[in-house]
Amino acid sequence: MANEPEHIGQRSESAPPENGAATSQGEPQGASRGDAVQGGATAAGGGAAAGPPAVRIQGLWKKFGDQIAVNGIDLTLPAGRFIGLVGPNGAGKTTTLSMVTGLLRPDAGVVEIGGHDVWRDPVAVKSRIGVLPEGLRLFERLSGRELLGYMGRLRGLPGDEVDKRAGQLLDVLDLAGSQNKLVVDYSTGMRKKIGLAAALLHNPEILFLDEPFEGVDPVSAQTIRGVLERYTGSGATVIFSSHVMELVESLCDWVAVMAGGRIRADGPIAQVRGDAPSLQNAFLELVGAQGRGAGQNLDWLGGGAR
Amino acid sequence: MSTRSAAPAAPPAAAPSLTPVFVRLKLSLLRNGLRQSTGRTLAYVASVVVGLLFAAGAMAGLIALRGNAHIGSLAVLLTGIVTLGWAVMPLFFPTGDETLDPTRLVMLPLRPRSLIVSLLTASLIGIGPVFTVALVTGSVIAVADGPVAAVVGVLAAILVVLVCVSLARAVATASVRLLTSRRGRDLAVLGGLFIAIGAQGVNIAATKLGRPDGLSALEPVGEVLRWVPPASAISAVQDAGQGAYGRAVAGLALTALALALLLWWWQRTLTTVMTSPDSSTLQAAGKDSGRSSQPGDRGLARLLPGGRTGPVMLRMMRYAWRDPKTKMAWAMAIGVGLMVPVVSSLQGNGTIYTSFSASALLGMQMYNQFGQDTSAFWMVASTISTPRDAYLELRARAFTLALVAVPFVTVVVAGTAAFIGPWSDFLEVYGLSLALLGALLATGALASALFPYSIPSEGNKNVAPGQGSIAWFSLFGGIVVGSLLSSPMLALTLWLHLADLHGLLWILLPVGAVYGVLIAQLGLRVAAPRVARRLPEILQAVSKG
Repeated sequence: MANEPEHIGQRSESAPPENGAATSQGEPQGASRGDAVQGGATAAGGGAAAGPPAVRIQGLWKKFGDQIAVNGIDLTLPAGRFIGLVGPNGAGKTTTLSMVTGLLRPDAGVVEIGGHDVWRDPVAVKSRIGVLPEGLRLFERLSGRELLGYMGRLRGLPGDEVDKRAGQLLDVLDLAGSQNKLVVDYSTGMRKKIGLAAALLHNPEILFLDEPFEGVDPVSAQTIRGVLERYTGSGATVIFSSHVMELVESLCDWVAVMAGGRIRADGPIAQVRGDAPSLQNAFLELVGAQGRGAGQNLDWLGGGAR
Repeated sequence: MSTRSAAPAAPPAAAPSLTPVFVRLKLSLLRNGLRQSTGRTLAYVASVVVGLLFAAGAMAGLIALRGNAHIGSLAVLLTGIVTLGWAVMPLFFPTGDETLDPTRLVMLPLRPRSLIVSLLTASLIGIGPVFTVALVTGSVIAVADGPVAAVVGVLAAILVVLVCVSLARAVATASVRLLTSRRGRDLAVLGGLFIAIGAQGVNIAATKLGRPDGLSALEPVGEVLRWVPPASAISAVQDAGQGAYGRAVAGLALTALALALLLWWWQRTLTTVMTSPDSSTLQAAGKDSGRSSQPGDRGLARLLPGGRTGPVMLRMMRYAWRDPKTKMAWAMAIGVGLMVPVVSSLQGNGTIYTSFSASALLGMQMYNQFGQDTSAFWMVASTISTPRDAYLELRARAFTLALVAVPFVTVVVAGTAAFIGPWSDFLEVYGLSLALLGALLATGALASALFPYSIPSEGNKNVAPGQGSIAWFSLFGGIVVGSLLSSPMLALTLWLHLADLHGLLWILLPVGAVYGVLIAQLGLRVAAPRVARRLPEILQAVSKG
């Protein structure tokens, strides 16, 4: 990890994502990484583009009480891509990501990560993935540095290596000044960043981020972006959920659109966008919310007598 | 369009009084709080009934004591205690009354002076004031004698209630900065501890006062308190009944002065709070005020074993100190574990067997280990992929407990042997204590895997709503099973006693220690694969609330 993520992120929003190149780059690295790597302490980054897909989901299904949160999802996400999972609030994004990362048991369905079943082969899966969930806490009574030290050692990394990586991550994520402050006193953006650092610490092949930009100020968002783009640039896979289309459009080269617990569309971003002028329009069309403008009933709002 | 003409009327000439608005606000808050669930309504109604019964009982008791030689001191003392209660209540239950938080009114164009009257009126609604009125009325009736005293008594009762309520308001306003900050909320969680200690104090005091002529012990306290407002108003009633009108006027005047000072202070702090930046702004501008990497800590941390064990133990110890809930659980376990033998020896009926409380209470800390992590358990869960990982995690937690529990049990058992005796039983009880500790660690590990439940981090509750039965089952079932597991040791002890082999009782210490280690080990081994299998279920259970 070098310390200058700032060089990325200057391209215009409509330009085709640079990371397309990552697929071809990823191939030789993927071969060296292969299937047999266990323990997650390997130094090289990269995904297996030629190997199995990053994530393969079949018939995934989850019900909370009477409400069906995830209604039979089949989805294959390629390795080495920057992938956005988009959908309105309550679409089932968090539930899906929780089930894919092994934090929530599905009612039915199969999830494979890098060809390994999440529920049958947790050893192979847990060392390969990094997770930043939404709505779950961190160990907030540790300082930022202590939290990273704890997580890294729990992951089985040697202590010196953990401290070295933690220091670099804190620097890059602009948290070095608050590293000795308790996480409970962090702002939302700082929490997301320390969570991201904890997820990256063991250099996973696939990173799952649930709403990593939610409630984050523009400066922190740019920092997070820089780190993520550098990470995918080395051939690794990022899968993140969001409902900010502009962000997804500018970051991702692959999207999956979710609504009402189902996948409405998935594929390379250009294909999902189709003829629509922007991903936003394509998305609104897909989830069936087009043309629901402000009604006539607010005619008193603005101007005239109070 | 037709409604438009009605709306834009100019600001009314005289602003309507705020008082009815705040009274309605208070009533709505009470009502809406009850509407949330029937359980809460029942709890509220039950607390009202209990409160009223208690108030009526206290009132009747006070009236029945009328004529007692020491009633004056008792009434004065009760008033003092009630006032103290009003002063500290907002510190420990900051969320108890939302209208107490003046920062919620900051955006409204309100003047402090009119606000104070309205807020004071609104805070006279509730169980607390009713309870206070009942108690003060009882006190006044108990000490009043004659028509003059009755008049003074009415004045005194009103003054005392007003002082209590405005004291609570003023304290809440003055400490709102503290209470809305993280440190303040941490402090509030520890409130339960003070209540527990206070209850013990009341318990001991009550037994002392219950003795014949116990009330005379109050005299010296009463002599001082009778000049401290608002208790001085109560003593004024007594003075008026005895014809000492000068003292009566002085007592009343002191309380009235206190009320005026309180209102003035309250108004001042209210103005400050409502016109200066709040803690969130100040904090954002602040610096990295955290703990610098403590070299001493690192030195000690280096002694911990490597791998998973050391980091987990270090995190547990940091949490025991920094997390208010965990700190409170530890303080309770250690405090109560000490208190049981001490109190029973003070009461004169102690045996050395009361020192079992030490290992029982500390062993129970092993229960619901993952609930203590709150939803941050996902961080642990995402690093556990084999039963071996789960075993190491559980073992590290058991180590941390044992690191505190074994020395503590040693000290308590030795102390009990020294003060209550006999020393001849020391080895036997010590060995049994260690066996019990091991059994509780074993069942605690298993209960953590099978019956996890959430511990809400805010407030005084230790179980999330709806999980009370799991918590009870886990703790109660665990204790039963834990006792069953230590029964072989108990059987051995009994056999040694009955077979008259007193010379061999010392073997209970080594046998108990070994048995404790083995049974704890067995418990961890049985629990570990269950933890590894049930990670999502545990995470779901501990993420509520």
